[in-house]
Amino acid sequence: MNRRTLLLFPALGGLAGCLRPGRLRLNVLHWSNYIAPETLPRFERETGVQVRLATYESNEEMLARVFSGNSGWDVVFPSNYFVGPMRELGLLARLEHGRLKRLDGLEARFTKPSWDAELEHCVPLYWGASGILANPRQGPAPQRYAELWELRFARRITMLDDPAEVYGAALKKLGLPLNAHAPAELRRAHEEARRQKPLLRAYLNAEARDLMAAGELAACQTWATTAQQAISAAPHLRFVYPEEGFALYADCGVVLRESKRKELAHLFLDYLLRADAAAEVASTTFTATAVRAARERLPADVLAMETLFPAEETMARGEWFEPLPPESQRLRDRLWTELKSS
Amino acid sequence: MNARLRAAALAPAAALMIATVAVPFVVLAAYAFQTRGAYGGVMPPWTAENWLRLADPLYAGILARSFLAAAVSTAFCLLMAFPLALAISRAGRWKNLLLALVMVPFWTSLLIRTYAWMFLLRDTGLVNSLLMKAGVISEPLPLLYNWGAVVLGLVYAHLPFMVLPLYAALERQEPHLLEAAADLGARDWQAFWRVTLPLAAPGIRAGVLLVFIPCVGTYLIPDLLGGGKTILAGTLIQNQFTAARDWPFGAAVSLALMAVVLTLLWIEARRREEPLL
Amino acid sequence: MTRALSVSAVLLFVFLHAPLFVLALFSFNEGRFTVWEGFSLRWYGEAWRDARLVEAAANSLWIAAAATVLATAAGTLCAYGLWKRESRLLMTALSVSLVTPEIVTGIALLALFQWLFRYAGLQLGLHTVILAHVSFCLAFVVLVVLARLRTMDATLEEAAMDLGAREWEAFFRVTLPNLAPAVLSAALLAFTISFDDYVITSLVAGVDTETLPMVLYAMARRGGSPVVNAISTVVVVLLGAGILLAEGLRKKS
Repeated sequence: MNRRTLLLFPALGGLAGCLRPGRLRLNVLHWSNYIAPETLPRFERETGVQVRLATYESNEEMLARVFSGNSGWDVVFPSNYFVGPMRELGLLARLEHGRLKRLDGLEARFTKPSWDAELEHCVPLYWGASGILANPRQGPAPQRYAELWELRFARRITMLDDPAEVYGAALKKLGLPLNAHAPAELRRAHEEARRQKPLLRAYLNAEARDLMAAGELAACQTWATTAQQAISAAPHLRFVYPEEGFALYADCGVVLRESKRKELAHLFLDYLLRADAAAEVASTTFTATAVRAARERLPADVLAMETLFPAEETMARGEWFEPLPPESQRLRDRLWTELKSS
Repeated sequence: MNARLRAAALAPAAALMIATVAVPFVVLAAYAFQTRGAYGGVMPPWTAENWLRLADPLYAGILARSFLAAAVSTAFCLLMAFPLALAISRAGRWKNLLLALVMVPFWTSLLIRTYAWMFLLRDTGLVNSLLMKAGVISEPLPLLYNWGAVVLGLVYAHLPFMVLPLYAALERQEPHLLEAAADLGARDWQAFWRVTLPLAAPGIRAGVLLVFIPCVGTYLIPDLLGGGKTILAGTLIQNQFTAARDWPFGAAVSLALMAVVLTLLWIEARRREEPLL
Repeated sequence: MTRALSVSAVLLFVFLHAPLFVLALFSFNEGRFTVWEGFSLRWYGEAWRDARLVEAAANSLWIAAAATVLATAAGTLCAYGLWKRESRLLMTALSVSLVTPEIVTGIALLALFQWLFRYAGLQLGLHTVILAHVSFCLAFVVLVVLARLRTMDATLEEAAMDLGAREWEAFFRVTLPNLAPAVLSAALLAFTISFDDYVITSLVAGVDTETLPMVLYAMARRGGSPVVNAISTVVVVLLGAGILLAEGLRKKS
């Protein structure tokens, strides 16, 4: 009997976790790196709603899970350039602004964003940039994307495992717009990426952070939040906003059309717009917040992080990612496959 | 056995096979002939375009490379598993314990075993640390995120699958055959080459199949150990269903892969004149 | 030659087990990296305190248990039926199931569930994961049990029936007890395969079905941490102990 009892305990525990009769539930699919320890427990305490959380590492992973329209998730957080395509696919519910009382707490640049001017479908919550994280102990930190093509970095750099980011860097190196999508432009970017590939250790996302902190890499292309997390672990590291220009993204909360708990979903989004919740996420996970009032609550050292809150002149060099037209998307997918197989 | 009882015994399995093998493959086949929607998804019109894309050297090359990687890994696996299986078969009363110990890694998760190699092969991993401490090298060796790591991961993961059938074949061999060979003047190596090896042939065939086929469709190992610099068939398929959202093409690649695997199996089954099971 | 054989066998044995030992060793390391900083259980503590991890482990256990029971029952019956009289069709289907790469099985099942959603409103969840697991474990169970059945003497059942037993009685009282070790092995195999599965589960998982391999994969992808070492060690030790125990019991019976 003993072995069976041993099996039963965790099984019952798991089951009990799933079925707590009478409690409202909300299913949230979130990026793996922006949930602060207190974010969910506080929401659960204040509202009595039990939140079921799962995380993802990339927009594609998230989309694959909600694509079917029967996934069971209520709230997800696509990046700004995914909002348009998800809307076209009919996955998003229209937001009821009446339920989002704190929407006007957003910073000016996010109240009428280019990807959803009336904020009909999304609530921008966190934003960031991608750039170069460098280890000055292994040589002068690169200031431009072009330097990541130099032989001195052979095998000691990584790029993000994301076609938009890799080709984006190549396009900036070529002096083209970040969102250039004409076939000729994409092919030129592809050629540049191919020339760079032999220099790369690997195409890595968050894995590169630990490699940088351990001193295995001289530089890597990464997101500002990941970079700040690395810098907090290894203060000698530096994050650079490339001179040629860089990509900006904003992660927005959306309510899925399939959701049967839309009021709760709105309640959750409104909660994330609260100054205290937003400030907590920003300061514990090192993410720039889109909520104006949260900035005032941030500790001075977080506010001073150039990584998260770059100066205005720096911001001027940034471009928001935009979704590609379907044909260009197909071309880029194919080029990416070619790049990976070369 | 009376027919009703037999039908009852086979019914649950048959229902499961229809629901989870037959029907899904039909659905996949249907997808493979359709077109990708603007942002993903599957739509009419019906087209053979996805299959034509397979002839594209880029994708054909990926499939070919998958078979090559699988073949290389299988070869290494065979070379390593044979001495191990032979030694165990001659170990007398320790046979069963040794075999169980060989199987223990198999029982543990593929994910964990692959992660173990990530842990070992990194620049700051154990292998490099030890080599550097011993003064053998001054700079860490690039052991991770390349083809070598992927093949190593594949060999390591499938070694027990090769050992088992080899052991089964070798164990059944009669020791007096080797004695007879020795009596006839054969040296150790000759006896091995001409007696042991041919008799182990069925085990070798079984082992090769058991390793080659999973290696062809492997996804997890190149994903973790390859550093995103390689694309094998498994990665390509996974990509189509996630990042690229091109379900019809992904379905076509899957079915093509299955077709090759099933053909190989069919050839093997015909040679043996027995079904696989 | 025997010398060379023993040496190479020992080396290979070490090769097979060393990575797991190293993993386990460093799960007790105080520091994060491969520099030994002292013995510590902190990573085990961290793993235990991680609610998501514990819940994922519970999910994995629950799913594996359910899938094992269903797959073993269906598979044993199926093997029995096939032993009595072959069915080329069913054997082919089972063979196909065995040799399909995991990624293809996963997407085929996902395609099935999408299609079912469109026409029957099915949602992804615990039931879809369990169904998927039963499906890929079934062929393994049949393989093991059928192999054992084929070495069994068919006349035993006939003798029982001659003595007046009905067919199903003969099965339960003569064949099944003889088959018990094989059924147990098959169940163990099914449990392990189900518990460890990542590829298929990640594709068909729904909201409440995050499993331990999924969490481990996410952690490994994010650069890994000794917490992964700790969990891995626990899983290996528990499963290994379970296997050896089962083998021991089998020997006794």
